[in-house]
Amino acid sequence: MKLGIVTDSTCDLPVYYLEQYQIEVVPSILILEGKEIADGIAISRDEFYKRLPDFKIHPTTAAPSIGEFANRYQKLLDAGCDHVISIHAAGSLTSIVSAAQQAAREFLNRVIVVDGLSLSLGLGFQVLAAAESTESGLEAALAAVESTRRRLRVFAALDTMEYVRRSGRVPAAITLLGSLLNIKPIIELADGEVKTMSAVRTTKQANARMMSLMRQVGSLERLAILHTSAEARAREFLDQLMKEMNRSLPRDILMVNVTTVIGAHVGPNGLGFAAVTR
Amino acid sequence: MGIDTIRLEKLRGKPLDGQAVKRLIESALLWLKTNQQTVNALNVFPVPDGDTGTNMMLTMTSAWNEIKDSGEKHAGKMIAMVAKGALMGARGNSGVILSQLWRGFARATQDSAVIDADAFVRGLSEARDTAYKGVVRPVEGTILTVAKDTASAAQAALAETQDPIEILARSVPAADASVNRTPELLPILKQAGVVDSGGKGLFFIFEGMLRYLYGEPLDTPLATVRPLSSLNLEEAMHEVEEGQDYEVVVDFFPGQHFELQKFYDRLEQMGTSIQVGEGEGMYRMHIHVPIEKRYEPIDYIMGIGTITKVAMENLIAQMDSVEGQGRDNKIELKKVEPNQIAVVTVSPGAGLSRIFASLGVASIVNGGQTMNPSTQEILAAFENLPTDRIIILPNNKNIILAANQARDVTVKKVAVVPSRTVPQGLAAMLAHNPDGELDSVSEKMTRALAEVKTGEITVATRSVEMDGVNVKEGEVIALLDGRLVASAGSIEKGVMSFLEKAKAADHELITLYYGEDFGQSDANRIVDLVRASYPSQEIELQDGGQPHYQFIISVE
Repeated sequence: MKLGIVTDSTCDLPVYYLEQYQIEVVPSILILEGKEIADGIAISRDEFYKRLPDFKIHPTTAAPSIGEFANRYQKLLDAGCDHVISIHAAGSLTSIVSAAQQAAREFLNRVIVVDGLSLSLGLGFQVLAAAESTESGLEAALAAVESTRRRLRVFAALDTMEYVRRSGRVPAAITLLGSLLNIKPIIELADGEVKTMSAVRTTKQANARMMSLMRQVGSLERLAILHTSAEARAREFLDQLMKEMNRSLPRDILMVNVTTVIGAHVGPNGLGFAAVTR
Repeated sequence: MGIDTIRLEKLRGKPLDGQAVKRLIESALLWLKTNQQTVNALNVFPVPDGDTGTNMMLTMTSAWNEIKDSGEKHAGKMIAMVAKGALMGARGNSGVILSQLWRGFARATQDSAVIDADAFVRGLSEARDTAYKGVVRPVEGTILTVAKDTASAAQAALAETQDPIEILARSVPAADASVNRTPELLPILKQAGVVDSGGKGLFFIFEGMLRYLYGEPLDTPLATVRPLSSLNLEEAMHEVEEGQDYEVVVDFFPGQHFELQKFYDRLEQMGTSIQVGEGEGMYRMHIHVPIEKRYEPIDYIMGIGTITKVAMENLIAQMDSVEGQGRDNKIELKKVEPNQIAVVTVSPGAGLSRIFASLGVASIVNGGQTMNPSTQEILAAFENLPTDRIIILPNNKNIILAANQARDVTVKKVAVVPSRTVPQGLAAMLAHNPDGELDSVSEKMTRALAEVKTGEITVATRSVEMDGVNVKEGEVIALLDGRLVASAGSIEKGVMSFLEKAKAADHELITLYYGEDFGQSDANRIVDLVRASYPSQEIELQDGGQPHYQFIISVE
């Protein structure tokens, strides 16, 4: 019984995992100055974030076409997979999973689409869990995805509200906050919803909040430090984490410069983490 | 004092029932009103807010309003009403403590139809106990000490007389002596060369009652003249009575035959809001007069001395312009749901109100010219909100007690987050979560208070030496978290001195809120100077609109 795994580029899984488990990744689309670019291909992430504040027209994102998904499913089924699990970014924030669902209809019950209700490695860790369980069959893999999602904690400290406001994807309630003062929000992504945990005025305060959130989540099975073109900040955060909480951290910790598709909505200099608790 | 002995004997014969109490309260209020500016002038801190005399007067006025139409004959019931009125109208620290004194007095005398010597002494003792209990950290050398010493004197007098009037007569000089001792108990008073303002206010309340009994006038202050530096002409601007059109201020050197009491009497015939100050032989007279009398003060003074300067101001035009400023953009406040926590904040300026509103505040209490809302005003801000979970941000140390009182009086669940400055209040708002538990949210907000340093830049209202800083009246001063840290010759220098003292170079973000006396272009100019000196810091400029303080600054 072979199981195929499909996801999209917002999952931010490092290439070696993708290759190891032969995970199919459908690239999301970045619309940059009128042109459609597949995520991660025509522009490197670093370059994207460097240019982000200067784009005349704010970059937006779009879902891949239904055909793109259908092709991947077909490819996997042709390669001998009995089933395909297609896990994607939160449907409340992007239309990626909706496109996948439409494509899956063609394949009756052989393609199961799962709304990951998360982004970046919040999604990626669920994909990884499925990939690690493909040997145990469809049910086990779906159970692993479910179990991971239940233990998932995703937080981010944004440097400014500007990009979130411009993107229009976040409910007004959050962007109203601090409309007169410059505010750096700390948000949580849970069950597909973005909630403002608190707001601070300085980066130092934001880092302190993130650290205290880390203390609260407890012992971890998986951890990824996320940033939008802020490697120094992410490194410093990780250093402090390891000094303070080494025992509760997993052996492998990922550090990821987040996909431009998310970055466009969040802005540069952000710091976050995706964790799966034990 | 010139005691009207015949009158006194008549009053001695009558029992101190509810109506007698009413007359005594009225007298206390009148005498306090008359001496209001004297008490205000004792404000140690050289900043223009927290006027004790005005606060205590307004507290007593609220008490008076509660009883002024009452025909109640039972003394205890009358005093209970007084206490209720004082509680609602209490504002400022002294006002709140005064209302606590009344509460204690009322409790001890609730069953006394008339106030005899025992009841009076019991009342003073319980008043003292209630007031001390109501303050977390009682400080000696304040109104509390005066209440304590007065109660002791009354107790001692009880051993020698059963006449409540006689007991009051002995208590008044004891209160006066206690007031004069306060500089020995509170070093900051000694340093500033004044007695405690709250204590003095309490003294005037007792003295007013005695003056009524002795038949002495209550509407003119004893003919003394005050130091020039203590004239509070700005405050007079906000108490313009009907019929007064012009403010006239005359500086003069009096001639040989100048008599102070005659001078006051003559001025009383012309207008109101009379203040006379003296410094180095020169006198300054301030008065409000109706339009047809506008030259009278000047002509009169010309006949009795040498005039050096005259200033006249059209009051009605002034008031119109002040009112006009109030009609600003409407502020959008957060609509709170029944299960959420609503935040009530006290704001000194329109710009700051807008910022608070943008951060999710549900209700704003306008701090007014001197940041002195009453317990009632704070209550009114949240009683009608559709939730029973409230957090209050007072944003001024003088408002914390009144906020606590509002919390104790309402049935709603209230937590007071003790913000002492506006930047602290803003920091607390950022830590707010409307959907959390009241206790844990208010705790989080309270912890957030320490994350910001506050600067206040204003002009000193008195000359004083404090915390090693020498300040001359009229100089610019800078306060760091409420402490005087620098004096300077200009606003710019004041701002830069503050930033240095606050070690702004070690922080990330400097936010400047400019006040209503300051124009935006001047504010921008100062921000440019700040940017040049602090190139690695984020600098933000916001319109605060607050009175008196040219800048409120937060450093974080």
